[in-house]
Amino acid sequence: MSTIEMTGSGLREKYQQRMLEIRRAFDAGASGVATIAARSRALDEFVTALWTEEVRRDRRLATGITLVAVGGYGRAQLFPYSDVDLLFLLDGRLAEKDAKDAIRRVNQEMWDSGIRISPSTRRLAECERFDEENAEFAVALMDHRLITGDATIYRRLAGQVVPKLLQREQKPLMARLTELTRVRHAKYGDTLFHLEPNIKDCPGGLRDIHVCDWMTMLRGSQPDTRPGTNRNAAEDSDFRQAVEFLWLVRCFLHFRHERDDNSLDWQAQDVAAAAGIGMAGDAPPHADAAYWMRFYFRHARRIERRVTQILGEAPLDKPRLKLLGIRRERRIEPPWRGFRLERGRVMLDSPAVNEGVPSYDPAQDPDTVLDIFETMARMGCTLGEEAERRLLHALPILSAHLEEGPALWQHLQRILTGPHAGDTLRTMHVLGVLELLIPEFHGIDALVIRDAYHRYTVDEHTFVLIDTLHQLEHVQTGPLSEWAAQFARLLRELPHPGLLYLSALMHDTGKGRSTGDHAQESMRMAQGVLQRLELDSYESDLVTSLVENHLEMSAALRRDIFDRQTVRAFAEKVQTPEALRMLTLFTYADINAVHPDALTPWKAENLWRLYIATSNYLDRNVDEDRVGAQEESELVHRVAAQLPGQRSQVAEYLDGFPERYVLTRTPEQIRANFQMANRFAESVVQLDFRYAPAVSELTLVTPDRPLLFANMTGALAAWGMNIVTADAFSNRHGIVVDSFRFTDSFRTLEMNASEHEAFVKSVHDVMTGSLPVEKLLSGRRRGRRKIPKVVVESRVEFDDAASTHSTLLEVVAQDTTGLLHALSLTLARQGCNIEVALVDTEGEMAIDVFYLTRNGAKLDQQEERTLRAALLQAIEENAR
Amino acid sequence: MQKIEAVIQPSKLDAVKDALVEIGAEGMTITEARGHGRQKGHTEFYRGREYSVDLLPKVKLELVVKDELLDKAITAITTAARTGTIGDGKIFISKIDDAIRIRNDERGEFAL
Repeated sequence: MSTIEMTGSGLREKYQQRMLEIRRAFDAGASGVATIAARSRALDEFVTALWTEEVRRDRRLATGITLVAVGGYGRAQLFPYSDVDLLFLLDGRLAEKDAKDAIRRVNQEMWDSGIRISPSTRRLAECERFDEENAEFAVALMDHRLITGDATIYRRLAGQVVPKLLQREQKPLMARLTELTRVRHAKYGDTLFHLEPNIKDCPGGLRDIHVCDWMTMLRGSQPDTRPGTNRNAAEDSDFRQAVEFLWLVRCFLHFRHERDDNSLDWQAQDVAAAAGIGMAGDAPPHADAAYWMRFYFRHARRIERRVTQILGEAPLDKPRLKLLGIRRERRIEPPWRGFRLERGRVMLDSPAVNEGVPSYDPAQDPDTVLDIFETMARMGCTLGEEAERRLLHALPILSAHLEEGPALWQHLQRILTGPHAGDTLRTMHVLGVLELLIPEFHGIDALVIRDAYHRYTVDEHTFVLIDTLHQLEHVQTGPLSEWAAQFARLLRELPHPGLLYLSALMHDTGKGRSTGDHAQESMRMAQGVLQRLELDSYESDLVTSLVENHLEMSAALRRDIFDRQTVRAFAEKVQTPEALRMLTLFTYADINAVHPDALTPWKAENLWRLYIATSNYLDRNVDEDRVGAQEESELVHRVAAQLPGQRSQVAEYLDGFPERYVLTRTPEQIRANFQMANRFAESVVQLDFRYAPAVSELTLVTPDRPLLFANMTGALAAWGMNIVTADAFSNRHGIVVDSFRFTDSFRTLEMNASEHEAFVKSVHDVMTGSLPVEKLLSGRRRGRRKIPKVVVESRVEFDDAASTHSTLLEVVAQDTTGLLHALSLTLARQGCNIEVALVDTEGEMAIDVFYLTRNGAKLDQQEERTLRAALLQAIEENAR
Repeated sequence: MQKIEAVIQPSKLDAVKDALVEIGAEGMTITEARGHGRQKGHTEFYRGREYSVDLLPKVKLELVVKDELLDKAITAITTAARTGTIGDGKIFISKIDDAIRIRNDERGEFAL
């Protein structure tokens, strides 16, 4: 046995003893920082001692060669079972063959001591060269540390070779790091949310921390996470905490698995939770794995955010900018609004200074800050690092300046409906701005649902849901593309998409409270938000009922969706077509946001079938479900509450109206209609006109008589108004409420405010009979017929079973101005009375449903045949 | 060992699953499926478009049980999935030669 071997095994024992001590210290509560530093020191001593022995054996090794720690070892961050990257660096004075045996023996001894060593031997000149194919070596060289050997060589490496290399190859290295990170993130589905995450390689893992450090170094700054550096303690403390948490967890995993295995599997999560790893004083007595994972996700999210931001700050060449879809921002923004966009990033303007004193900081102005997030949601830009830092800093002042109410809802609505709402909300959430606006959201921050099915934390699930809805706007590929297109049509039909997104944001907030029924709890929390945002009662009701019923459609899908009872029970819960559309879209997105594979074409198809069955049920029962004379329903109560002392008159007015009339209007609107009906003494034609640039609304309240609907639609057609939706209802006493929502084809009302009065007067005159509609129509200005993008084939369908006393007629035709007049005139000429009308438009398609009677009874087959022919002819003539 | 393949109404899945767990058959594979036997589809009109349902949604359930559990499993499935109407589904039985647990190479009934 030679001397060297005896000494070697002695050193080995010493090293192994040191490792046992490190393990014991860790078990006794040593931090991750201390543990990885201690292993580095132990390795340093071991390597130094081994090399000293070699130099003693061959004095030629005293000069011309040095041992440099690189990679993680170079950073002095050696996890218990991590590989050890050791570089044997020569400068040419010593021939490589003369050092070969010594290097082999050192490596062998380390290997035999249970150390996974990754040795490399290089000449100094080789380190200057950059090999695109092996960029990893250049990256490893960025973290270097002298262990032992000829210090002059190391000084040349650290003082000249590496700085020069990094300066010269800055751009390719940054590009390569960005690319490697992107590929690695893609491998993990671009999400940090995994049931059993790999804490080194997943997004938000330790590798991302290194990327942050390398990118910072390449930009010529001091990295964040080296021992002894503390760039800006206050601002970076969250990031620092996240780093130390991950260091600790990786040490825990290495000791647990007794190898370099970084997967945080379920068993490890249980043990980590029980031991309160990384929770210090925060651990409640019985913290379970879900609670512990919440900490993990919060920390990982901070790291992912930092790396995304740092990669976003990297200078990009032109083709790359194009690749990322970042184009020059058009300079159409107002000259000063507190911020500007540069290369897809938001930059805050400097605070205004008045006589040397800062007088106004845009970061502290709620309007500016909300405007920034609106811009991000609209354009998909990100927040610059400096802007983010300033916003974080200004949060307490921002909170003091923030005003709730309709203005805040307008801001929030624009954020929620922006195509990039999901990412914007994520940013707002990480910065704490979302919780500032909606404190109810805090309870679900990084909340984990720990089962094999839920992929995301509750907050992330909410954002994925919102992403899913916005993605419906784009053409999709893959097995779901056909269904996505169907649901996208529904989304475009929503009159108030902002309400769907607000419901989505709130739907799981109740999970933050452990009461058992999270839908109820979320609804209560939503009510608080709605009150603060001052939404009107109609909008509030839509949101609260969607939040409360958000599981109902999923529940109905588990029953037999072809069974009429299932459909009826479900329809009774949703009540109105608008609520049904919202819940359908919500359910589609909610399923998709549980797990990337949760929404299958099979589920989408069933969801669609349930939607159409329920939609048809709602349309076909309008005539049946009517308000009774002695109705004690919630609906009647709510309207009566608007009109104190007139309860019996209200009940009489509502008697016989379809429930749909009450359900689709606010109590305030019904009150207005009721008051119009009380003014018949002044005029039997009561009109209420509400102009809006996009869609105006005209409501008629009048006693029923023939040709009513035909005259109204004729008057509107004569003015060039294109009816988008309409409905017509009547009560038991023959009072008719017809509402029309229409667009202004010739922009008559938009261009001439004075015409509003003339418009209402001429409609009034038509309805009183003083102006024949034919006369008005003969002077009608006819625009050039547009060639339709999609040709809709006309269809006329009858359903005798939908109602007990009237015949249901559904007409589907190309949407053209005057169509509804042509149809209703034909109906009147055929002696049909319109009991109920429901008019809708979907793109170029008009869908008109009428409940008809003729001489007080249903139509017979012969009458239906005659009517069908007359209607088809009328549609054709109108289209000419 | 016997393999049971059952095609049932999706709305009966939870009940069937519970019934099988109750008798001690715990492992099963569930696939979303479409199909029809003598029960044909039907047609629904929505906004002038015809949506015909030629293939109805079903779920297929597959499990392998020890011979002595077969009758109990069949009873569990039929009892839980039966409504008495067309479309309740079908059960197919076949013999299984061997089973292997990939994790540790256990074979036969031990692998179930």
